[in-house]
Amino acid sequence: MIETYLRRSGSTAKPFFDELAAPEGVVREHWKKLAHAYEELGLDKMELRSREISQELRDNGVTYNVYSDPDGINRPWKLDPVPMVFSQLEWESIERGLAQRAELLNLILTDIYGERRLIKEGFIPFDLIFTHKGFLRQADKLIMPGKFQLIQYSADLVRGPNGKMWVLHDRTDAPSGAGYTLENRAAMTRVFPDLIRENQVRKISSYYQTLKNTLTKLSIQNKENPRVVLLSPGTANETYFEHAYLASSLGFTLVFGQDLTVSDGYVWLKTLKGLEKVDVIVRRVDDIFCDPLEFLGDSHLGVVGLMEAVRQKKVTVINPLGARILENPGLMAFLPRLCRHLLNQELILPSVATWWCGHEKEKKYVLDNLPFLIIRSIYRSNENLPYIGSEMSKKQIEELRKEIITRPYLYVAQEVVSFSTTPSLIDNSLQACNAIFRSYIVADTEKEAYNVMPGGLSRSFPTKGEFIISNQTGGISKDTWVLGPSPEDQPKRAVNQPILRQVKNILPSRTGESLFWLGRYLDRAVSNVRMMRIVLKIYNERDDEIHPETNETLVILLKSLSTLTSTLPGFTAPDQAKLRQPEKELLSLAVETGRAGTLAQSLQSFLTNGYAVRDRLSLDTWRILDSISEEFEAMKQNGNDLRKIYHNLDQFIIKLMAFIGLNNDNMTRASSWRLLNIGRFLESALNTCNILQAALGNNVKPDVEKQLMELVLMCNESLVTYRYLYRSTLQLPGVLNLLLVNEDNPKSVAFLIAKIDEHLAHLPDNYDGGGLSPAHKKLLEALTMIRLCDINKMVPANLTDDFSKKELNRFLHHLIEVLGQAASIIFESYFSPTQSQYSFVKSNNALPEL
Amino acid sequence: MKYQVTHITRYEYQLPASLCHNLVYQVPVNHSFQEVEKVHYQIHPVPHFLATREDFFHNKFIYFSIEESHQKLTVEIKSEVKVAQPVWTNTVAKDTTPWENVASWLRSTSADSDIRQYYLESDHVTFIPGIREYALESFTPGRPIMEAMLHLNARIFNDFDFTPGFTDVTTKLEDVFLHRKGVCQDFAHFSLACLRAIGLAARYVSGYIETLPPPGKPKLFGSDASHAWIALYIPTVGWTEFDATNNLLVNDRHIRTAIGRDFADVVPLKGVVYSGAGQRMYVNVDVRRVE
Repeated sequence: MIETYLRRSGSTAKPFFDELAAPEGVVREHWKKLAHAYEELGLDKMELRSREISQELRDNGVTYNVYSDPDGINRPWKLDPVPMVFSQLEWESIERGLAQRAELLNLILTDIYGERRLIKEGFIPFDLIFTHKGFLRQADKLIMPGKFQLIQYSADLVRGPNGKMWVLHDRTDAPSGAGYTLENRAAMTRVFPDLIRENQVRKISSYYQTLKNTLTKLSIQNKENPRVVLLSPGTANETYFEHAYLASSLGFTLVFGQDLTVSDGYVWLKTLKGLEKVDVIVRRVDDIFCDPLEFLGDSHLGVVGLMEAVRQKKVTVINPLGARILENPGLMAFLPRLCRHLLNQELILPSVATWWCGHEKEKKYVLDNLPFLIIRSIYRSNENLPYIGSEMSKKQIEELRKEIITRPYLYVAQEVVSFSTTPSLIDNSLQACNAIFRSYIVADTEKEAYNVMPGGLSRSFPTKGEFIISNQTGGISKDTWVLGPSPEDQPKRAVNQPILRQVKNILPSRTGESLFWLGRYLDRAVSNVRMMRIVLKIYNERDDEIHPETNETLVILLKSLSTLTSTLPGFTAPDQAKLRQPEKELLSLAVETGRAGTLAQSLQSFLTNGYAVRDRLSLDTWRILDSISEEFEAMKQNGNDLRKIYHNLDQFIIKLMAFIGLNNDNMTRASSWRLLNIGRFLESALNTCNILQAALGNNVKPDVEKQLMELVLMCNESLVTYRYLYRSTLQLPGVLNLLLVNEDNPKSVAFLIAKIDEHLAHLPDNYDGGGLSPAHKKLLEALTMIRLCDINKMVPANLTDDFSKKELNRFLHHLIEVLGQAASIIFESYFSPTQSQYSFVKSNNALPEL
Repeated sequence: MKYQVTHITRYEYQLPASLCHNLVYQVPVNHSFQEVEKVHYQIHPVPHFLATREDFFHNKFIYFSIEESHQKLTVEIKSEVKVAQPVWTNTVAKDTTPWENVASWLRSTSADSDIRQYYLESDHVTFIPGIREYALESFTPGRPIMEAMLHLNARIFNDFDFTPGFTDVTTKLEDVFLHRKGVCQDFAHFSLACLRAIGLAARYVSGYIETLPPPGKPKLFGSDASHAWIALYIPTVGWTEFDATNNLLVNDRHIRTAIGRDFADVVPLKGVVYSGAGQRMYVNVDVRRVE
C-alpha cells in the first residue's frame, strides 16, 4: 500500500510537499517504522483498526456540534488512524519557534493594554489595533501581576511547498481543541499501543499538568485553595463535549454564565449550599459575550459585572479579556521586526505572507493582485468569511475592491499557499490529503517560560489546496506524533507529586436542577414505556375492531395512558373517535417530540438533561445514555409501525434500567446522586398514584377489574411480589396495600416518600426557620396520610355492585395534590428558576431627547 | 458662568427586579473651560456596591449594583459647574488652516493616536453612501477648516428636522440621512460621520445646555434635557465644539459630562437587570444659572 502511495504522490505536480514521501519516491526517514508497520498490517486490517477507533471515540461520547445544521448536534468526532508525524530534529525547531512566538505575543499584548509604546514608536500602526473589535478599551491598563498576560495560546501551522512550517493563524481568545487532542491520543493508544511504543511517541500529559498548575497559581485573592471554573457557553456550543471533558479531567467545575453572579466585586458560583467564591475563570466564551453590562448588552452567555470584578483584581479571567487583539492577522506582517525589537532575535517560525492594506504600498499591491490572493477581514467572525480571489467573479472582485478602498485598514491579503499532503485512510486506501496542525502552548508560571505540547490536533482535508479550514466545514482529525525520547529534564514521573487533596464537592444549582429533572424524566420515561408496552400488547391481541362497550379493559387502559402522560383529553374525549381508531394517537404518544407528555418528549428531556450534566456521569453511564439516544432515533424511524415500536419499547426498558443500575452502583453518595433520586422517586410516587386512580378508580365488572389489577401490578413490576405475599387471587385491598402502604415494598408510594425524605435530610439545609423544613413537613403529611388510611374501609374485600369508589378516588386525588406540592417546595428551596435578563440600552426610550 | 445641574433618572418595572448592575456617565468633568465645584449623587435603593472609575477616554463613570428586590430605581446627580467662555469663540474662522492640511497631518505618523483615533469609524458613526459628498459641499477645496465646519453645522441645522421619537438607539445613520429627522445625538453622529469621512478627527460630547423659559415666564424645574454635540480637532485651537441641533458654536452655556467616539461610549445610564420586565424610564434634567 505504501508503494501505491509513493507512486501516486510522485506523479503529482511538483510544488507539493508530502509528509511521508520524499521527492525521490522513497519513504522519509522518520516515517519508515510506521510505513513498515502499515505494510505489514495491510489495508483491510487498517480499515478494521479505523473502525475500532471510531467505536472507541463513540464509546467515549466524543462529539461536536455544527451550528448551521439542525441535525448537527452531537456529531461523532472523526479520527484518522494515520497520524501527523514530526521527527525529533524538526520538532525541536518548531517547539523553539512556538515558544518564541508566545513570548513575543505576550509582550505585544502587555504593551497594547499598557503603555502602547509599540504604537507610539511606530512598530505597530495605531489603526491596525484601534479598528480591531478585539481591542477592548474596557480592558485598558488591566494588567495581571507577573510576567504573563497570554496564558493559553494556539497556532495553526501548515507546511509550505519548500518543506518549511508556516503559521497560518494565531488563536489567543479561547483556543479550543486541547480536549479533543487528549481523546485522540487515548483512542490511538488503545488501538495502536505497539506503534506508539516502537516509535517513541512523546507523551502529551505534561501540557495538561502545567495548564492545571498555572491556572491554579493565577488566583490573586485565594492562594491556598483557589476555585477554578471552566466557563462554557452551554450544551449547544460546537465544542461543548470538550468543555465538559477538560473540566472533569483537570478537576475544575464546569459552569455556564447563569451559574455565576457578581457581588462586592467578587464572582460567586451559585451552588446547592449557597454562594461560593470563584478565583479563576477559564473561559470558553468569546470576549465580548462575557459581560453584558460592558460589552454586548444582549449576551446571555456571560456574567454581569465580570469586568468590574476583574478591575478590582478579585477574579482572574483566562485568557484575559482583550487577548483576542492578537488574533488580528494584520499583526503577522509586523512580527519579524517586532521580534528583533522586543526579543533581539530573528523570528523562527514565519507567518504566511501577509499584506495589511492599511499601508499605501501594500494596499496597491493587494488591489493589483486581488484574483490571486486570499482576502481576510482583520476580525475573524462567522460573518467575515475569507474571500478567495481565484473563486470570485469580476463583479465580486470589484465590490471587494471598493470596500478595501473605503476601509483599507480592516483587510489583509494572504498568499495562497499549497499545504503539504499527508497520507489519510479514506475509502479503504491511503490518500494524500492536505493537513493543518494546531499546537497548544501554555505559560508555565513556575519556570517563567512557555510549555509547548509535544503533539497537538491535526486535521486533514480531502480537497487539495482548500484554504479555509475549521471543524464547522468538515474534515478529519489526526493525532500528532512527535518522535524521540523525552527531554532529559523531564523525569518519567513528576518528583513533586502534588498531595492528593479531596476537592470540596460543589454542585452548581443549575447542575443540581438538571440532575433533579434527569431523575424525573428518567422515571417518567420508564413508567410511560411500561404502560405503553402493556397497552400495545393488549391492543395487538384484540379482535379487528374495538367496541368501547365490550373491550372495557383496553378502553380503561387507553384512558389511563392519556391520564398518565397528561395528554388529556386524548382517549378520554367524549366523542370516542380516538378510542375506536387508537392507532394514530398511540403513534403520536410514542414518537411525537413536539407534543408535551409523549414518550418521545420525556426521552428527549431525559437526554437533554443528561447531556447538560455529562461531566457528572461516569463513562459507562455515558455510553448507556448514548445507546438510549440511538434507540430513540431508531424509534423515530419506526414512526408508523406499532409492532416495531413495541420492540423499541422492550429495548428502552433494558437500557433505562441499566442507567438506573449503573448510577446506583457507581455514583458517589453526594448531593448529585441524591437529587437524581429525589427526582426519580417523586416522579415514581406520582405515577403510581395516577395509574391507581386512572385504572382502578372505576366501577367495573369483577373480571375486568381483575384483569386491570394484574396489569397495574405488571406495570409496577410488582406482580411477582403480590403473588409471593398473598398467595391468593387478586383483590383490590391487597393491591392497594402493596402499592401504597407496604413500606417493605421498594415500589410502594410510602417507601418512596420515606426515601425522598431521607435523601432530603442529607442535602445542605437551606432552611433556618427552626423545626422541620416546609419540604419535610409536606412529605411527612403525605406519608402520614398513607400510614393512617384505612384501605379496607375505602374498598371492602367484597365489592358489591353499587359500591362506589368515591372514597378511594378522593384519597388518591388528595395524595397526588400533596405530593405535587412537595415537589414544588423541594424545587423552590434548592433551585432558583433562571431569571430573565434585560438590558436598559435596548429599550427604545433610553435616548435622551433634545 | 456657574450652573447647578440636576439629572434625575427613574426606572420603573412592572415586576420587581432582583438584581441590577449599572454604569452611569452623568458626572460633569473638569475640562479646559469647565470646573466642577461640587458633585452629589443619590441612588435609591441604596446600592449594595458603588465605585467611581475612569475609562479609556478619561471620563469618570460610576459602577453600582443593587442586590435587593426593587421595583423603582432612581439615580440623582447634582452638580455645580463653572463654565468659562471657550477660547474658540475668539477664533477667526476664515483665518484657520485649510481643512485638507489638517486631514493630511492626521494621516502622517507624527499625529498622536489619542487624536487620530477619532477619525476612525465607530459603532454609530459609519461611512454611509453619500456622506462624503454631503460633507464636501461645505468642505470645498482649500476652505479654512472652521469656516467649513460652521457651514456644515448650519446646513445640518437647516436640512434636518428636530423630531423627538422618530429615532432610537437602534436607528441606522442611513435612515437619519434618508428622512432627515432625528434628535441631538443623531445630528451629532451625522456631523461626526461627515467629518471622519473626509479624514478629520471629531468626537462626541455629551452634556447639557442651558435653556431659557419663554419671555416673562418662570423656568420650570426639570424642563431641560441631556444634550449631545461634537468636537472637531483644529490644530493650534484644539478640540473645538459645534452644536448642530442649535446651529451654535459652543459657548459658555454648554456643560460637558463625557467624551467618546459616539453615544455607545458614553451612554448616560446603562444597566442589566434580572426579572424586572416592562421597564419604563423617566428623565428630569434641570440646568439653572446660579451666578
